Amino acid sequence: MKKKVRILWLGLITCNGNTHSFLNYTHLEQFFNDFEFIYHPIIDSEYSLEDIISQDVACDILLIEGAIADDFIKADVLGIDIIKKYSNIVSKIVTVGTCATFGGIFKESHYKNVSGLHFREEKRTEKYNHLFEKTISISGCPIHPETLVSTLYAIKKGLDLKLDSYLRPKEYFAYTVHNGCTRNEYFEYKVDHHHFGELEGCMFYDHGCQGPLTHGSCNKILWNEINSKTRAGLPCMGCTEPSFPKQNLFSTKKNMGIPEFLPVGVNKRVYLTLAGITKAFKIDRLQKKLFDD
Amino acid sequence: MTDKKQQKKEQIMLASLGLFASKGFYNTTIPDIALSLKMSVGNMYNYFKSKDLLAKEIIKFVSSYFGKKIRAINEENISTKEKTRKIVEIYFQTAIVKPEMLDYFLRIYLSTREVFKDGCEGMICVNDFVTEIMIYFEEGVKCGDLRDQDFFNAFGLFMGYLGGMVFLQGENVLPKKLNEYVDDVSDNIYKALSA
Amino acid sequence: MIKLIEKIEGEAKLNFHFKNNKIDKVDVDFMSTRHIEDILKGKSPLDALVINPRVCGICGHAHLIATVRALEDCYEKIEISNKAKIIRELTLNFELIQNHFKWFYLTIFPLFGLKQNVMKAVTPSQLMGKAIALFGGQYPHTSYAIVGGVVCEITQMDLIKLEHYIDETIGFFEKNLLDVDVQMLQDCDNVMNLLSKSGDLVDILNLIETNGWLEYGKSYDRFIVFGESSYFAKGKSIKTRVMHNLSLADVLESASTTSFAKSVHYHGKYYEVGPLARAMVKKTPLIKDAHRKYKDSMFTRILARVCEISQLLLHCKSLIAELDLSEPSYIKPKMEITSFNSSGSSAVEAARGTLIHKVVIEDSLIKSYEIITPTQWNLCGGVNENHGVSQKAMIGLENTEIAELVFKSFDVCSVCTTH
Repeated sequence: MKKKVRILWLGLITCNGNTHSFLNYTHLEQFFNDFEFIYHPIIDSEYSLEDIISQDVACDILLIEGAIADDFIKADVLGIDIIKKYSNIVSKIVTVGTCATFGGIFKESHYKNVSGLHFREEKRTEKYNHLFEKTISISGCPIHPETLVSTLYAIKKGLDLKLDSYLRPKEYFAYTVHNGCTRNEYFEYKVDHHHFGELEGCMFYDHGCQGPLTHGSCNKILWNEINSKTRAGLPCMGCTEPSFPKQNLFSTKKNMGIPEFLPVGVNKRVYLTLAGITKAFKIDRLQKKLFDD
Repeated sequence: MTDKKQQKKEQIMLASLGLFASKGFYNTTIPDIALSLKMSVGNMYNYFKSKDLLAKEIIKFVSSYFGKKIRAINEENISTKEKTRKIVEIYFQTAIVKPEMLDYFLRIYLSTREVFKDGCEGMICVNDFVTEIMIYFEEGVKCGDLRDQDFFNAFGLFMGYLGGMVFLQGENVLPKKLNEYVDDVSDNIYKALSA
Repeated sequence: MIKLIEKIEGEAKLNFHFKNNKIDKVDVDFMSTRHIEDILKGKSPLDALVINPRVCGICGHAHLIATVRALEDCYEKIEISNKAKIIRELTLNFELIQNHFKWFYLTIFPLFGLKQNVMKAVTPSQLMGKAIALFGGQYPHTSYAIVGGVVCEITQMDLIKLEHYIDETIGFFEKNLLDVDVQMLQDCDNVMNLLSKSGDLVDILNLIETNGWLEYGKSYDRFIVFGESSYFAKGKSIKTRVMHNLSLADVLESASTTSFAKSVHYHGKYYEVGPLARAMVKKTPLIKDAHRKYKDSMFTRILARVCEISQLLLHCKSLIAELDLSEPSYIKPKMEITSFNSSGSSAVEAARGTLIHKVVIEDSLIKSYEIITPTQWNLCGGVNENHGVSQKAMIGLENTEIAELVFKSFDVCSVCTTH
């Protein structure tokens, strides 16, 4: 029997959303041929959580789900003590989800020093610096299952993954969520009226869509294989980013009608110049309903 | 386009601006412009295929002239109040030194829309200028100096006021010199727009 | 003795007290919380639509629906199209179904000495995830239901796909759980007829019988359902007597001194919530028959949960038939929710039972937010000598293994319980 890669999936301050998103991976059977969980929050494993805590179980990859805090206790021990122990045993650490990477929603919980493993929002937390080289971040609330699984395979194969400054694989996080959105043309041509409940229109102008300023592959590798939030008509909430969740998520922050946050790397002058030009033209096709005669 | 050709084009545009201001837009012909520059009409057409095209190029030229000036102000590290004053100053200064530029904008571009409808839709031909005003507004609101409101509301107040003053000056009805109004006008604008 | 209960979307501790070799008392302790209710304070009301699904990774969609309904309840009058109502109900049902599959194959299977079957858990769950994503863009953690309706527009082509997901799930149910035509199952009113069939559910039910566990897991025989839908009826059932007149105002939470989970009672009494409660209030023939024979035991509870899968799948098909695609998905409310002070509440049926949300909006912001989860009803420790529902169900059992099984037959969700 071939040796499987051993994974510890450790859940801390979490809703388990990543655990369940992982279960949506379409080739799980294949995955279990190559990997085994020494512990997982819901999948049966060789060891119990009590075993994991009381013993030093051999393990290759530590997955951390949920925000990390100095005083968060799991099964009577400090969560950070479990991290400390297993981070020495494993060769790689993957922070699974935005909470484990940046603090996410639960950075606002009342625990002490709540953060992701290496970041609290954009800021580096120095505490686990010695683990920085070992870590890969898969952000997202929740993670996209393929993003996680393929990264685990990359680790297994020893591939040299290119990472961004937050340790996220560029393969998935060099894109913006805007890439591949079916509502793209309404953005490109500045057709700025959008109403919820319609196939047409872009949520960037009024309804807070952060697609053009969020790193992620949501519209490249679809969710549940079929759709994405923006395609469905729900604004991108920027859930892969350090700032998640921002405030007033359903409305676009504007100053005198000009969006404060612009597409990644696009200078305001450039954006406004292009917007001014495209807005001058009325494109009938984009003014009409898609299925109009 | 070579620099030399661009220079020549600008020269033609400046000459045209002068003629439009003195003779009127419709009364000025391409041969008139060629003559004023001592160019052959045929050579003129190497630069501008028609008077309409020339008209559109000129408005872009004027917009770009203002755009560059305001951009420089936008890039200064000063308060929105000071920026407001500087923009007003530039505008009035231009009205005094290069009246034909503002004359063109106010009397020809804004009132001769049939010339500009094709190719200068919306604010395309004044984009350089409008973009900078947008940036001035956006940054003013972001830093808390200006009140957040509809863009056109603010834009109309700003430009309408300035245009009105320049118009009055052109009609020679202002009791004081235009540049003496800079402080009061910018004060009024800032008060109206500030948070 | 203290036992750590794992893999229940977190952990809980059960402290067993024995008397004459039988369990006499169990203290239930959920050990951590994430302060969601506090996180919501001071936020824009609509942001709750994004934050609240993150209460729970397995039933977050119920939290979304509860949130949107609580926010809409803040309005004196708000128009929601029938289409939007149906779509919301569909996606909520899909989430219930995926929950039940996961619970059966991931949690219940191993407790009967069978190997946990991840693939059987995820195959139908993934189909239901797709069905939700078709409307919501993704599952888990969509926020597609917003004040005024739903964000999506759907077409006939989408419905074709949707029907495939449902039919495939029905096929899975018949092939794996219970070898009976789901339509016939709907009319079945004798549980004995099922025990001779084949399927994973039948195996589990027969194991309960052969192991002599038919009496196990009985509690107060008191059930309550607050979340009305086109399928579920609101009401309470006390020893099969059903009353439909309930008031949310009589639901109270009380903090525990030992556990992060607050217990919930109605008129001072503990009630069981969940699929069994829903079947009792709705008087589903098959479950009524099982109840007649085995009361509110683990047998009836497991049967009710699994059979809810097929009932809901069939009901979803009839809901789709009712959809009028010409209606709007979303009707913009006449007033912004931030433009007035108000409060609202909602109750929806989540996989594990009644979920209640209460919100107070003041000066455009959330002033307070209260969430009462189904597992609080079922699993929280009682106050003083007043045992909670699951505590009562474990009393008299002879060992902690069987007690864990009874405990988990309620479908425990730690993250929800302590949010």
